[in-house]
Amino acid sequence: MAGSALKRLMAEYKQLTLNPPEGIIAGPISEDNFFEWEAYIMGPKDTVFDGGVFPARLTFPPDYPLSPPKMRFTCELFHPNIYPDGRVCISILHTPGDDPMGYETSAERWSPVQSVEKILLSVVSMLAEPNDESAANVDAAKKWREDRRQFEEIAAATVKKSLGL
Amino acid sequence: MRSLLLSGASFALTAAVIANAYYQKKQFYPSVVYITKSNPSMAVIYIQAFVIVILMGKLLRKIFFGQLRAAEMEHLIERSWYAVTETCLAFTVFRDDFSPRFVALFTVLLFLKCFHWMAEDRVDFMERSPVISFVFHLRVLSLLTFLGVLDVYFVNHAYYSTLLKGPTVQLVFGFEYSILLTVVAMTFIKYLLHTVDLQNENPWDNKAVYLLYTELLMGFTRVVLYVCFMVVMIKVHTFPLFAIRPMYLASRSFKKALQDVIMSRRAIRNMNTMYADATPEELASGDNVCIICREEMTQSSKKLPCNHIFHTSCLRSWFQRQQTCPTCRLDVLRMPRPSATPAAAAAATAAAPPIAQANNAPQQLFQNFNGMFGGFPYAWPPVPPAHANGQPGAQPQQGTQQSVPSAGGTTTSANNNTTPAAPGSPPPFPPFSHLCPCFPPPPANLGGLSDSELRSMEGTERANVEARIYWLRDIQALLDGAMMLISQYNQVAATVGMSGIHVPPTGSQTSTAKDTASTKTKPEGPIPETNQAETVTTNTDTLPKVSSSVTSLNSPSSKSLEETLDFSGLEGATGFSGPKEMDLPAWEDPREDEHEDELHEVRRRRLERFSQEGKKKEDFDLD
Repeated sequence: MAGSALKRLMAEYKQLTLNPPEGIIAGPISEDNFFEWEAYIMGPKDTVFDGGVFPARLTFPPDYPLSPPKMRFTCELFHPNIYPDGRVCISILHTPGDDPMGYETSAERWSPVQSVEKILLSVVSMLAEPNDESAANVDAAKKWREDRRQFEEIAAATVKKSLGL
Repeated sequence: MRSLLLSGASFALTAAVIANAYYQKKQFYPSVVYITKSNPSMAVIYIQAFVIVILMGKLLRKIFFGQLRAAEMEHLIERSWYAVTETCLAFTVFRDDFSPRFVALFTVLLFLKCFHWMAEDRVDFMERSPVISFVFHLRVLSLLTFLGVLDVYFVNHAYYSTLLKGPTVQLVFGFEYSILLTVVAMTFIKYLLHTVDLQNENPWDNKAVYLLYTELLMGFTRVVLYVCFMVVMIKVHTFPLFAIRPMYLASRSFKKALQDVIMSRRAIRNMNTMYADATPEELASGDNVCIICREEMTQSSKKLPCNHIFHTSCLRSWFQRQQTCPTCRLDVLRMPRPSATPAAAAAATAAAPPIAQANNAPQQLFQNFNGMFGGFPYAWPPVPPAHANGQPGAQPQQGTQQSVPSAGGTTTSANNNTTPAAPGSPPPFPPFSHLCPCFPPPPANLGGLSDSELRSMEGTERANVEARIYWLRDIQALLDGAMMLISQYNQVAATVGMSGIHVPPTGSQTSTAKDTASTKTKPEGPIPETNQAETVTTNTDTLPKVSSSVTSLNSPSSKSLEETLDFSGLEGATGFSGPKEMDLPAWEDPREDEHEDELHEVRRRRLERFSQEGKKKEDFDLD
């Protein structure tokens, strides 16, 4: 009888491999450490990130699912809600205690009901619709708000880069 | 590769140094003396010793841990940097007895510390790993025994050397190793718990609780040790700067452990008392997967007031962090008791919530109403809920009695959102005049109120009684204010009358004709000589109205309150004195008709005087 965190992660992995959601692949990097996952997210259709495949890394805490995992894109991604170092800033990954931007309601925070799949789906929708009110990358938020064309150019460049072109 | 090269170079250098010495001196002892006397050779030897220690460390690590995982390595490097800095700080404190032996002791300490951390990490890893091999158990057990034995040895050594030689640097080692001993103990207990958990097929609910208490105990021991160490060091040496960081960390983790234990206890208590066990039928119907651990619920599940069902243990560990339902985020602590426990629900009815609920609707209605009166700091008696107004059976003659329950209702609401003016402060003037047209308050039709609603408005709790007393004090303050006004008025009127005494009362006949005209022209009329008189002119005009409104505002409610409440019990309350008949100003007496006449008389005289003066002025102008 292993730890509950491990069991839950295994269950989620099984679920994700049996019914993979569209545009998302995720799983542990190695079978003997279920607390480090790798995920590939496809850029949502009809958005600036369409066509890109973005690798990310998920790190789960020992007390998962009571605490949220951390998510970090391992590729370059110019987006208002992604820190320049790749960390993802969405409310679903924050516990109600911490609020880096100071405006999220607790209703959209982490709770054990959330799962890897839900996190990745929220990230996909975040890619499609950046929230420039709580910017992790101020530069990107500014461009998104004021100079959409340049933002799209940069995004297109990242898409190309993510495909290794 | 680089480290291999470096150690190889070091070995080569050492070999060269030894060969050189032996070549020069030909014999063992002279060559040893030569090496120890020559500084460059000694430097090489020291480097060699360092390399050997590192190699030893690597060997031990291979034996006890095998390959370190990336996270473990990261952790280790991060912690070692702090440890090295602290060791350097410790060197500054003990620079007097700085010697190679001393450095060697510190290096050993550093290495042992590293092994303790790695052991901790490894045991924590047990919980995360899907498969635990036999080798793992063997390694962890042997490592823990090895570390434990070494720690005990060093603590012993430090103890006896301190006894024999007095406080030296051994004191520091003694404390360091005893703290490491607590780490070993903690790791061992964790290991035992994890092992037992692994043997079991079912999840072991109490493991988390045991872990919490072990953590608390060890945290406490560590804090006590650090405090003792601090005190002793300050007494015999100097302030141990190098121990500040670990001490802070230890106290912080102790605080966290304490908090966790408290939260966990609260969570368990709530679990046991507040929520019902899920019945087998509830589990059987529909989806019975616990959303927290994603496993089927077969036994020991709890149902929250929002009808969501979870494993007891999952729910408990979640409640340790947050008191909300994981699914719908219902705040479980603020919820009324679930209907599943009728006894608890019945007990809850005695508490405040029902009253608050009963008052909610009227309160909201009155929020707007209060806004109409600007700064008027008194809440109106709440109107009964809207449906009461639709009651056709309401009789108009109820009017006078209606104020009784509504006043009672106000008292309960007054403590909710109104700040009663401090007793004794002058009552706000401007709102009065502007208030008068709005008076009396909207007819409170209580015919539609049910008995229970009335009772809840009446309220017998402390808060309600307090609010009532506040209310009465406010009324008293209002009355006092009106009294002040009246006495001022009387005074002024008297002085005016005195100064105007030379005016023959009979002369009024001539001025009466002008009476009405002068009233109209008064604002731009002749200016009175004294300032006092001027203020009175502006005030007095509204005054009779005010006083009458005060009378009508307060007397019904205060009197009705007097009827409802037994003032004998309130007499001793802070600053409270029940409104008594003799306290009432004379003009508030039922027989105030004569006063009415008196007021008229005063007014008439004043007007007379004005007209007189106006006439005089006219005469003067004509002249």
